[in-house]
Amino acid sequence: MSDPSRDEERELVERAQRDPRQFGALYDRHFQQIYRFVYSRVREQTAAEDVTSEVFMKALKAMPRYQDTGRPFAAWLYQIAVNAIADRYRTLRPSQPLEDFHDLSVAGPALEDLAAHRDELRRIWTLVEALPHQQRTALVLKFQEDMKIDDIAVAMGKSAGAVKLLIHRGVTRLRDEATSLRPVE
Amino acid sequence: MSSYHDPELEDILQDDELRRVASLLSLVRPPEAPLDDAFRTGLRRQLMQQAWAVSEGRTSWWRRAFAPPGIAWAGAAAGLVLIASLVVWYAVQQPGGLTQVYLQSAIDGKTNVSLQQPILVSFNQPMDHRSTQDAVQITPATNVAYSWDVNTLAVLPTSGNLAPNTQYQVTIGTGAKTASGQPLTSAQTITFVTQPPPSPSPPPSPRPTPTSSSLLTGEKQLVSLGGTNTSPVQWSADSSTVYYLDGKGALDVVPAKGGAVGLIAPDGVSSFAISPAGDRLAYVRAGKIEVLTFADGKTEEIRPTPAPVLVGWAKDKIIWAASDGIYNQGANGPAQIAPLPATGVVTVVSIAPDGGHAAYKQDQNLFVLDLATSPNSPNKTAQIGQAAAAFVGWSPGGSEILYSAGDKLVVSDMLGTTLSNLPSGEASWSSQDAILLGSDTDLYQVRPDGNVAATKLANGTYHVPQWAPNGASFVFFRGGAMWTAVAPAMPPEPTALDDATKAVIAFMQARLNAQADGATALLDDQGKKAYGDGGLPLVIKGDPRFTRFYVLTQETVATQPDTTRFVVRLVLTRGKIDVSEYEETLTLVRDATTRSFLVDQAVGGPHRDLGKGAEVVSVDVAPDAVKVSFDSDLDPGAVADGVVILNSKGKQLDATATYLNRTVTISGLDLKPGDIYRLVVLPTVRDVSGHNIAAEYDLDLVGPLAKNHPANKQGPNATPSPSPSPTASPSASPAAA
Repeated sequence: MSDPSRDEERELVERAQRDPRQFGALYDRHFQQIYRFVYSRVREQTAAEDVTSEVFMKALKAMPRYQDTGRPFAAWLYQIAVNAIADRYRTLRPSQPLEDFHDLSVAGPALEDLAAHRDELRRIWTLVEALPHQQRTALVLKFQEDMKIDDIAVAMGKSAGAVKLLIHRGVTRLRDEATSLRPVE
Repeated sequence: MSSYHDPELEDILQDDELRRVASLLSLVRPPEAPLDDAFRTGLRRQLMQQAWAVSEGRTSWWRRAFAPPGIAWAGAAAGLVLIASLVVWYAVQQPGGLTQVYLQSAIDGKTNVSLQQPILVSFNQPMDHRSTQDAVQITPATNVAYSWDVNTLAVLPTSGNLAPNTQYQVTIGTGAKTASGQPLTSAQTITFVTQPPPSPSPPPSPRPTPTSSSLLTGEKQLVSLGGTNTSPVQWSADSSTVYYLDGKGALDVVPAKGGAVGLIAPDGVSSFAISPAGDRLAYVRAGKIEVLTFADGKTEEIRPTPAPVLVGWAKDKIIWAASDGIYNQGANGPAQIAPLPATGVVTVVSIAPDGGHAAYKQDQNLFVLDLATSPNSPNKTAQIGQAAAAFVGWSPGGSEILYSAGDKLVVSDMLGTTLSNLPSGEASWSSQDAILLGSDTDLYQVRPDGNVAATKLANGTYHVPQWAPNGASFVFFRGGAMWTAVAPAMPPEPTALDDATKAVIAFMQARLNAQADGATALLDDQGKKAYGDGGLPLVIKGDPRFTRFYVLTQETVATQPDTTRFVVRLVLTRGKIDVSEYEETLTLVRDATTRSFLVDQAVGGPHRDLGKGAEVVSVDVAPDAVKVSFDSDLDPGAVADGVVILNSKGKQLDATATYLNRTVTISGLDLKPGDIYRLVVLPTVRDVSGHNIAAEYDLDLVGPLAKNHPANKQGPNATPSPSPSPTASPSASPAAA
């Protein structure tokens, strides 16, 4: 049985490919998630706006070449976003300190204690920020954006196996470093 | 927390601790991303503009309307298909969608927008034409007409063009309604900035790129020389016939378009020259001069002593060189007009086409002998170049000489002053101021000033090229034969104003980019003081911010050195709207060494707020008229006494002001070069909306030189060459002397 949501998205994509003026519907549908993802990576509003603009402009321009491979359209947008962010990181480091962004500190308690405090849950992401770029992106797309492995593979231009490996390494590293977490007093 | 379960990750999260971390990651969300709704809607609008531009690029109705008929028919057919598809599309869309009215324009936010186009505003659904047109507001005040193509409104200035250097704000107010009566929820404005006005002196077209293929046309062999590789050549005055010597010393003639060879003299000819009027041909043969008159075919003889070796013309008189001097035919027979040195080995190599000078070699040195001055004149003789300099040719008017020095050619005046350096080659200087440089391997064309790289015309053997008087055809030698071809015209020389404009644009662009070093590089010492401590700011900071500039007026005010004056307007912007402006008056002087223009003086003007009545956006100054362009359509009745020119004493000049299409032309002037004048626009001037300009606008002007002053001429011989001389051959080879 076909997925109504996917069918609707497929229809929107086909219409936008026939008539670029129909791209607005896809924009409305995906803006929020792409912007949120970009902001979570660049951590600065103006930079997030710039990158998001770039993502959708590139998408509009590339619409005639887009091919439906059975993956969600969003996976393609994430792919453009991942590349745009990587390009940006090549020349510009995030300007906002991690602590400001997450309001967190790296010092903290053990995992069990940490989980007991709702505010401190977010501190785990401080450790995520310290991961290598590819591991970090894979974890964000999996756990923050709730994407499927295959879709993450599309977004990152990798195989599903490679994505799993990145996630495994990232989570393992977080586990190893979690014991160093201490609460902010 | 450790109950995290994700089938996709089961194979990699087998450890409880790993699943616990994964659980934490899945539970935690980072802070909500701050989102500016204006950004979200703005980006959507930008995307839609882009999408519409792509769509409209396929079938732009107004382009079709202005296209040639054949294209228009094709466009009309495509338009019908588009209209039909849109109608169908809208029919499908109407019932449930289109709850919001969007508009977009491909030129929104653009700069350098062409002046020759309507303002197109596209809506996402059918609009009520009347209410939409009534809801249009345009700043600056502009008379417009409207037309519709489906859902696209074309706003056309009735003057035909948009105003130059102007930021337009086109607002569709909330009075606009859809065809079904739905109003715009909020007024929407598009803004754009137009390009400068067309240059009064169009920039030179780009030179052809050197190419492996020939740029010549009509290349063909004229005649075999019969035993020699090159020959002295003379063209007839009308460029129809070529005279030359064959391998046996016979003087022959051949039509330039090809044909049978005619015989003038059967043998023994060593030098020959056609009179400036083109009616006679003189040649040296067997120790005497024979003069053939074409009209009757009769030949006269002159038998001077000592024997002539080289013949030429000074206007209608024959002159010749002998071993001891230069002679002409006086009333009582041959008369010496200039002696040659009595020491060393002296050889006369050429007589200038105007008969005013002769070039000779004394031992290894090259000299020019002035034939027009008295024998005791201090400048009777001048050495040209250093030792071993070799004569190459004359300028068509005979006022400049070309010689070779090592691996280059030098253009010199008659006193030996170097005017320019050129690449080496076998040269011929045309009446159109183009120099051909031939060789064994290629043919180049170059300007005498040498400021721009030579253009390669062809690969191959092009020996001793000789221009025809028409400056288009030439002959050359290849493989023991004489050939002919036609060379392409050289692009016009850039004027001093063209060169200075490039410097001004580079200077202002560097400032706009906050590149202080780049801007400073275009200042001379005086200019650096003008932008130094306490002077004008080189990099402009603050809010409103410096976003664009344009040249309001430009003039060439002096030569030697070339001096130009520019008034540049700097526009300051807040948000997307231009809010104020001020002017800088820049004086640029051509550097004597580098030949580049540098800013020598700079004076700033007061700031003025924008949006308070008509603005002057362009001023074109000529000696007899000043054209003042405004950004707004003006009330014609308020123009005549409102735009005037004052002299340096403040007295209004007697002139006539006429108004058409936003431009006031003040004619009947006689502006003197270098004198100071002032353009005054009085507050009585008002636009078609009834708004008077906020305050009197004054602009100081300098009486200009004539337009299109050649940029690269220099020195006392800077005037352009006279019209083609009938005596086209600028040189005679030493062998012919």
